[in-house]
Amino acid sequence: MSDIMVDQTHKPEETAVPNNLQQHHKQDEEHHQQQQSVRENAEYEDKELHKLLVPDITLLPLTPPSAVESNFASYFAPDFMNPGNDQYIYRHPNGLCVVGLASTHSAFKDKVGVSAVDFNVGKSDRSGMKVTGKRKKNAQHFESNTALCKVCTNDASYIIRCCVKGSLLEVNERLIKQPELLNSSADREGYIAIIMPKPADWHKVKASLLSLEEFKKLRALC
Amino acid sequence: MSNEVESAQVNDATEVNQLSSSAAVESHAGSCDEEMPLLLLNDVVRSIPNHVVKALLSIGVCSRCVLRIFGTEDRIYCHPLLSQSMLRSIIEEVTGFKSEGSAQFCSVCLGILQFSYCNDKETMVKMESPNDMALTIAELVKKEGHQIDGFSLEVSVPQLIMENESSLLSAMRKRYESEPWFQERLLSKCVPVKDVLKFAITKPLETLLDVKSSSAGCFRIRLTYTHKMASDNSVERNQGFKRRKIGKENGLHNVNDESVISNKVCSDYSTNETISVTGSSSNILQDQEPYEHLRIPIDKVSEPCHLVYLCYRTHIYLCGRYLKYSRNVSQTRWIIDEERMGEASVEEIIGSNILPMCRGDNYKFHAAGREDIDVRMLGSGRPFLLEIHNARQVPSEETVNEIESKINGLENKLVGVKNLKVVGSQGWTLMREGEAEKQKQYCALVWISRPLEDEDVQSISLLNDMQILQKTPIRVLHRRSPLEREKIIHWMKIERIAGSSQYFLLHLCTQAGTYIKEFVHGDLGRTQPSVGSILGCRAEILRLDVTDVKMDSF
Repeated sequence: MSDIMVDQTHKPEETAVPNNLQQHHKQDEEHHQQQQSVRENAEYEDKELHKLLVPDITLLPLTPPSAVESNFASYFAPDFMNPGNDQYIYRHPNGLCVVGLASTHSAFKDKVGVSAVDFNVGKSDRSGMKVTGKRKKNAQHFESNTALCKVCTNDASYIIRCCVKGSLLEVNERLIKQPELLNSSADREGYIAIIMPKPADWHKVKASLLSLEEFKKLRALC
Repeated sequence: MSNEVESAQVNDATEVNQLSSSAAVESHAGSCDEEMPLLLLNDVVRSIPNHVVKALLSIGVCSRCVLRIFGTEDRIYCHPLLSQSMLRSIIEEVTGFKSEGSAQFCSVCLGILQFSYCNDKETMVKMESPNDMALTIAELVKKEGHQIDGFSLEVSVPQLIMENESSLLSAMRKRYESEPWFQERLLSKCVPVKDVLKFAITKPLETLLDVKSSSAGCFRIRLTYTHKMASDNSVERNQGFKRRKIGKENGLHNVNDESVISNKVCSDYSTNETISVTGSSSNILQDQEPYEHLRIPIDKVSEPCHLVYLCYRTHIYLCGRYLKYSRNVSQTRWIIDEERMGEASVEEIIGSNILPMCRGDNYKFHAAGREDIDVRMLGSGRPFLLEIHNARQVPSEETVNEIESKINGLENKLVGVKNLKVVGSQGWTLMREGEAEKQKQYCALVWISRPLEDEDVQSISLLNDMQILQKTPIRVLHRRSPLEREKIIHWMKIERIAGSSQYFLLHLCTQAGTYIKEFVHGDLGRTQPSVGSILGCRAEILRLDVTDVKMDSF
């Protein structure tokens, strides 16, 4: 990785007494040898390091699990408050919940898909709030049926709700300028919001949610 | 010295029996060493006006305090072999003062200079001489097994002593300022209790421990004296003085008579008695001045101080770099709900191997940054500092090398150590210096959702000092502020993996504080740009290794 420049241009003093000259030569040689061995050492270490880094390709899966699959537990709320309103909740071990539209949501039945997203619903514009600090000051406390945003297609609009009671930490503002994110990746970059429920509140709602397996069965997905 | 002796003899009102004093010296004479101090001591005592000495002794001031108040140059009262009994008998010899009954604790120094105290087992201890006290301390040091090459002695005494002393000095000033000797023996020469104690026991300690003392020692011997009465607030004491006056205002009293001294129980905090004394000397005028009496608002002391000995070495530091080969080892001890996360911790592996070699009490681990439990620390290693508390010995270079080999040779090969060495307190500054412009180098195993092209390898390698914007990753958002942080990716390099079109190694060098995992998978689009967005596809990270933490000073 790092190449050490060996100084080859060092000249011994010429006016010195023979003894000194010999000493300088010797010192030079030693110095050169030292630098040589330092370089060899470094090269050796690099090789050893590299051996540790390269994986055994035979042990790797063809398609690895995604970041969401590895880091979150997925839950689904089918027909939440309205038929066709299928939403997902990804729950992280630290308690935070990412909510969004499941692939089976009515909005995606439309040919073109989603054309606009508006966070100005209910009593306030959800995209306007500023949550600060470790204790998440100014976060609004919402119920599971509180509206998060309105998703519009050409013909219809759908109200998306929290699904879990908790503090609203963040909404995905990118959806305002790029509503097409919902069409391309509703399960990732197209998420709607991040909510922080209290442990007790999560417990209560968990019972009414479906696991991925159960949801797939329900919607007859492969 | 000779001057003082002369003036004392001129001023002397009491008889001085020199012959009997020499006899006393002879009877005490043991070795040649002891004899010299006694002669000197005699001279010193004689140099102080007798009536003053008697006045002080009668109000409960101890012999050593009497001598230190007059602050003689030679500090004979600090001599290590000078025992209580020796000192007392010489004073009584010279001044003719007879002590009444059992020894009490000095009303000024609270028994400290009488080498009496209450130890941590609540037992009363009365040492005869400073040397005996030094012996006890030396034993403690040896018992702990400390290996030292010096020490520094620290003494802490209750504030009450200062207050008592200043009350006494101002009372003495008022009473004696008219007397001729006063001009020559100014009371400003008074030597503080702490200094007397230190002078007295430092030399014998040096001899017993076979090392020198210094103020900057790494090995501290601390004596902390506390006293029940000292928790009083002094305001109350002063008010007590104003409120009550006991004792006869007029008339001479022989100092040996029982003056009005009220016995006070220590636990009674609220009241104050004044101790009144008059000097008995033919020099005192018959006219009664208002300040004739030596009034001191000092309480009688029936309990000595409580003494706590503490000897310890100040923190020593070992620094080095650590490597973490396992993906199941956390950096520091990590326990949730009484269950340990991971199978071990770097902190514990390193600390538990070093602590016993220093025979210390405790350790604290500090590292320059940290990595996740599932991320290996390879290459140059991460700088760390290990603080050892109260080490009984400082490990030699040889021992340190042995420790390094030992850790590197552990069977489970979880952790490695490099460049281990003992470092002074400058270790801290070294760590801080490096932190400012830290750059880290990583190697990530990345998978993308389409085959890797040559253009990809090219375009990635062309990106230099690229700025990214990271929202606080979801996985830490529960405990960190929701912010958007600008970070710099200094360079990137793709290394193809033989046999795979969608897996590759991504080498990258970034600014300290960059979340690498999120930079690869994008964290649901909350890190922009990400590897995925740059390559226009989905990217996932399987493994991460730290390959270099750039810090020159380590």
